Amino acid sequence: MSPTSWGEPAAAPSPAPSPAPSPAGPAQRPTASSPAIHVVDLYKRYRRTTALAGLSMTVERGEVFGFLGPNGAGKTTTVKLLLGLARPTAGEALVLGAPAGDLEARRRIGYLPELFRFQSWLTAREVLKLHCRLLTLPRDRTAGPVGDVLDTVGLATRADDKVGTFSKGMQQRLGLAVALLGDPALVILDEPTSALDPVGRHDVRQVIRELRDRGATVFLNTHLLAEAEQVCDRVTVVDAGRSIATGSLDELLGERTSVKLLVGGLHHRWWHDLSFFGNWSSDGRWARVDDVDPDRVPDLVRAIVGMGGRVEAVVPEHRSLEERFLELLGDRAPKKEEEAPAS
Amino acid sequence: MTQTVTQTLAIVGLTFREAVRKRLVAAFALITIGLVGLSAWGFDRLSHSSSLTSGEVRVSLPQSLILFMFMFSFVVALSASTMSSPAISAEIESGVLQVVVAHPIRRSQVVLGKWLGLAALLALYAAVVCALEFAVVYWVSGFVPPNPVAVGLYLFAEGAVLLTLAMLLSTRFSALATGVVAIALFGAAWLAGVVGALGASFHIGALRQVGAVARYVLPTDGLWHGAIYYLEPSAFVTHRLAQSVDVRANPFFASTPPSWAYLVWAAAWLVVAMGAALISFDRREL
Repeated sequence: MSPTSWGEPAAAPSPAPSPAPSPAGPAQRPTASSPAIHVVDLYKRYRRTTALAGLSMTVERGEVFGFLGPNGAGKTTTVKLLLGLARPTAGEALVLGAPAGDLEARRRIGYLPELFRFQSWLTAREVLKLHCRLLTLPRDRTAGPVGDVLDTVGLATRADDKVGTFSKGMQQRLGLAVALLGDPALVILDEPTSALDPVGRHDVRQVIRELRDRGATVFLNTHLLAEAEQVCDRVTVVDAGRSIATGSLDELLGERTSVKLLVGGLHHRWWHDLSFFGNWSSDGRWARVDDVDPDRVPDLVRAIVGMGGRVEAVVPEHRSLEERFLELLGDRAPKKEEEAPAS
Repeated sequence: MTQTVTQTLAIVGLTFREAVRKRLVAAFALITIGLVGLSAWGFDRLSHSSSLTSGEVRVSLPQSLILFMFMFSFVVALSASTMSSPAISAEIESGVLQVVVAHPIRRSQVVLGKWLGLAALLALYAAVVCALEFAVVYWVSGFVPPNPVAVGLYLFAEGAVLLTLAMLLSTRFSALATGVVAIALFGAAWLAGVVGALGASFHIGALRQVGAVARYVLPTDGLWHGAIYYLEPSAFVTHRLAQSVDVRANPFFASTPPSWAYLVWAAAWLVVAMGAALISFDRREL
């Protein structure tokens, strides 16, 4: 399904991309069973810069998919290609089963851009009504959806205030409300919490979970790894315009974990006898075993007690997404030099 | 089809609402009332002046009205370019347009909706200005131009040309650059008309050519001369042509109306420029 799995380096880029096809490509009939997003070998070049260098990924329907990567990795470019705001140099991108940018498919897509300022002279309600008309929702039936999305994003009490009086965070909430209009099957969120305070971030996570609960697909473009860790079913990490790893968070973080132990009653360097559980180290007070199978932690404790030790504390330590992310980018760093973009 | 119309009308309505909310309409109204009031006083003085003969008054009334209308044509041209310059580019910069075109709407509908909204505003302004000014002049002096409706139409057409030019430029350049270029081209076209008139008067072929070519490259000055012609009573034209001084050098005089061929050219210019704006925005990566 995905071009790579966690930890595996991506395949080498195609040496010479074929001539750029039309973004519309051959007409394909959207089906409910087709993936929400299916991207194959996508390239995007801007004169001397290669923004995407053979990106491939598949986002299944109904999942919250995190699109992670450092600045300049090609995340926003990908979003623009998916929405038809820009055209790929080469490759294929299908969204809701139709070529990216397809007019009918766009009817079922909600989009929150990273940077935007709505018309300052409109009220929040007027902005939403305008977008209802652009989405061709029946005019006499816009009050309900507008009220609903205002409630969802916490702007109901400011609905009739001018957008010009809104803070950056409130503008972002309004942008999210626009993205939620028309019950979209796919919601593309580009850095949705960049201007929000902790309460706002919590609210957005709640909205994302609610979207998933009603069966919508959420494509979350973010560099906030903690955010991705909390809401995403699967993620892909992009770097230099290519996916370097894709999978669920469990697949990413691995099944092996680390455990810190506070043990008394044993002689110095007692853990030498337990090296088969993992890699041991100690700071003098705490002993630490890395790469231990979580299922074997009770056996480990039992073994220590069997040796006459007194186990005072066992603290499991999971690897964070951030650690894994940095590890992946670190793996890629030396290879960048070798990968001159195909021209 | 109905959905396409609904979406386009939503953009038209938004454009109108923006003009009202940003107090553009109020500014138009204030300027117009001020200028029309000033002209009422001026035309009253002119028509009741004891130092002028009745013949001189008959000549000076249309000439003064042409000068006043030139000022209004300048307001129309300036408004057309300043309103149209940010129409596309500023909304791309703010990121709003990216949200709009991510909806199931064609980019051509966005450009067309904005053009229709701004063109409707211009048409309204041209109609109100002409109606007010001509009514006031008639009230204080009894003079009425031979074809006031044609004057209004030419005034609007001149504005529509500049509006379309600014819309085309706005699909590629910033609002500031677009506004500066559109106004500079408008000024250059008017100046080229003056140069061409001088060339015709003094029989300098090269200068005459400049004027002739400029009228086709940007038909604002040619259309303005159409407005001038319909402000002039036939007796006024005959009188000026009979004068010993070559009136062809006067940029505020037109001895003939624009030809049908020229009007067809101006219409084609508008269609081509609008088509270029649609294609340019459609191909632009956002």
